[in-house]
Amino acid sequence: MTIRNESSNETVDIVVIGAGASGGAATAWLAESGFKVKCLEQGYWQDSSKYASASEDYEFEMLTNWAPDPNVRQRAEDYPVNDSNSPVTPVMFNGVGGSTILWTAHTPRFHPSDFRVKTLDGVADDWPISYDELEEFYDLNDEVMGCSGINGDPANPPRSPRQMPPLPIGNDGKKLISGFEKLGWHWWPSDSYINSQRYGEGRDACNFCGHNHMGCYQRAKSSTDITYWPRALRSGATIETGARVRRIIIDDSGRATGADYIDSKGNEQHQKARAVIMAANGIGTPRLLLNSTSDSYPTGLANSSGLVGKNLMFHPFAMISGTFPEKMDTWQGPLGNIGLSQEFYETDKRRGFVRGYTYQFQRSLGPAWIANGGFRNPVPWGEGHHEELRKRLGSVMAMAVIGEDLPEEHNMVDLDPELTDSDGIPAPRLNYTLSKNSRDQLDHAIENAKKALKAAGAEDIFVDPMMRQSGWHLMGTARMGNDPEKSVVDKWGQSHDVDNLFVIDGSVFVTGAAVNPTPTIQALALRTADYIVEHRQDLKG
Amino acid sequence: MTNNASTKNVNEELLAAILDRLIPAIDDVPSAGNMGLTTEIVRLSGQQARFQGIFKNAMEIFESTNSEFVLLDSEAQVTAIRKFESNEPDLFSSLLTISYIVYYKDARVHKRIGWSGRTPQPEGNPMEPWDDSILETQREREPFWRKV
Repeated sequence: MTIRNESSNETVDIVVIGAGASGGAATAWLAESGFKVKCLEQGYWQDSSKYASASEDYEFEMLTNWAPDPNVRQRAEDYPVNDSNSPVTPVMFNGVGGSTILWTAHTPRFHPSDFRVKTLDGVADDWPISYDELEEFYDLNDEVMGCSGINGDPANPPRSPRQMPPLPIGNDGKKLISGFEKLGWHWWPSDSYINSQRYGEGRDACNFCGHNHMGCYQRAKSSTDITYWPRALRSGATIETGARVRRIIIDDSGRATGADYIDSKGNEQHQKARAVIMAANGIGTPRLLLNSTSDSYPTGLANSSGLVGKNLMFHPFAMISGTFPEKMDTWQGPLGNIGLSQEFYETDKRRGFVRGYTYQFQRSLGPAWIANGGFRNPVPWGEGHHEELRKRLGSVMAMAVIGEDLPEEHNMVDLDPELTDSDGIPAPRLNYTLSKNSRDQLDHAIENAKKALKAAGAEDIFVDPMMRQSGWHLMGTARMGNDPEKSVVDKWGQSHDVDNLFVIDGSVFVTGAAVNPTPTIQALALRTADYIVEHRQDLKG
Repeated sequence: MTNNASTKNVNEELLAAILDRLIPAIDDVPSAGNMGLTTEIVRLSGQQARFQGIFKNAMEIFESTNSEFVLLDSEAQVTAIRKFESNEPDLFSSLLTISYIVYYKDARVHKRIGWSGRTPQPEGNPMEPWDDSILETQREREPFWRKV
């Protein structure tokens, strides 16, 4: 059925494409400031009481219907991504809340130096904004999402108090940390958007089930469907789910007038708006901009620089795991929210590379997860299976390396010439290679991780030099900057080419730092929303 | 997402024989092929169309290249499985994955390995609360973040 329907849609002030980390934050802010906002989201609301962590089949569900890779999950609302030319597969979720439904909610902030890599280290580009300019928005976001953590970290600047104390470290965490203590290396309890006590609307404290990466049954892990969205809806924002955007529409003057989309019943629709905000993640946003060609924008919308889709950055993950002789009930507690080390975060050129990395400490899960490998190869089948399973269960701890991946134009998202989603819209294609600097970082991190694990008492160390299913952090594909020839949006997230088009997801990152990016994405989204409130009242009807 | 019809034709006798080699007997728990797990494997594989297709393909290709598998002695069976694992790593991986998942769902296995068998929710797990004393050493360190 392809009925185009405009009559039911009144013109809104702003249409937001995507209801995830950034879309939820910006929609709430704008709606609370009196803007008439509608969000188009291709996925659906999630019912936390139906998350698979309470299902008898949860270990199968984790690898299939709740897998983080959309090419594996293959729900109707997902779109395929051609990742055959990338050693890293994309990881995301389509639904209200976006990827915050499946994330680990590990929420460190960028460092001040991350905004000045050109000045400090002579690589990539400086951001057009500073840490200080973003700090108040980090704080605002913490308050809505709810941060568990503690002040005093010597690796980071002083900051406002978190809303809750840190999550427990656990015996397993203490064991891993002992290695860092022996080596005199930095570690600090994770900042996590997971409740260590009751916080927010109807949100309980974490009960340490270990499986919030399949959606948090307890609603203790923060996701925007249970934080920003209730506020947004109370303030008059609307959201249409099952709405897959085909293209952004431009008028003869080159301004955005709304979006064409396919609704949940398969009808072609058009939403009229005075402004458009893209919040579809670092792959979905460039995909949509590149699909939005017109006579005025033959190479894609907002693409006069030619940089839409270029400079794709992941955080390529290495994972180093160790088996300890002790049994530590490693399935108790959030999988990736024990602590981190930023001993090697800042540039030290004696190491042979620039920039640095974070270690994120990781637990391990139950017997089927362990048997199927978890962070390492599967437990061997046949003779020896039972003994190896016995050794690993409750005894494997790991360290994920999050290295700073610098922007390179040849790393990109473009449109696949053949692959489409179920509505026939061209799908994204990734072209990505790991740079020597990133590889050198990972190799350095692997050697130091081995030292830390051995110091902690691990006996059997396994290295995955680069995890394939690790493309959580999708950044750089519509970068911000002051020069329209070298960037897609300005420092407010506003397109250089189209003054009523904004981008607020990880696409706008100039560089990726060496931390999980979501608090920074959300802080930037709030900052853009604040700019619109303060300076773009012309967008109000 | 669910469609068991297309795995109705899975050769469960063959699957049981493969399971026997993948997960041998231990203590009072029989080998996996003698635990009656095949029906559950077929059911569970049908909970996602993509996985179901891969699993079914794995069984069909294995059977087509190992038509006498159930008649082989155990050593020859191991050799046949190793060859399949080498030639068809992705298909073999699907077979091994679901075999492990279903085996480790079984109450007899839980009892042997001391696993509660509870689903992660709604009960969750106990943990000792945060103890600030663990940061004593780190708090003594001077700030070392790079100022700009």
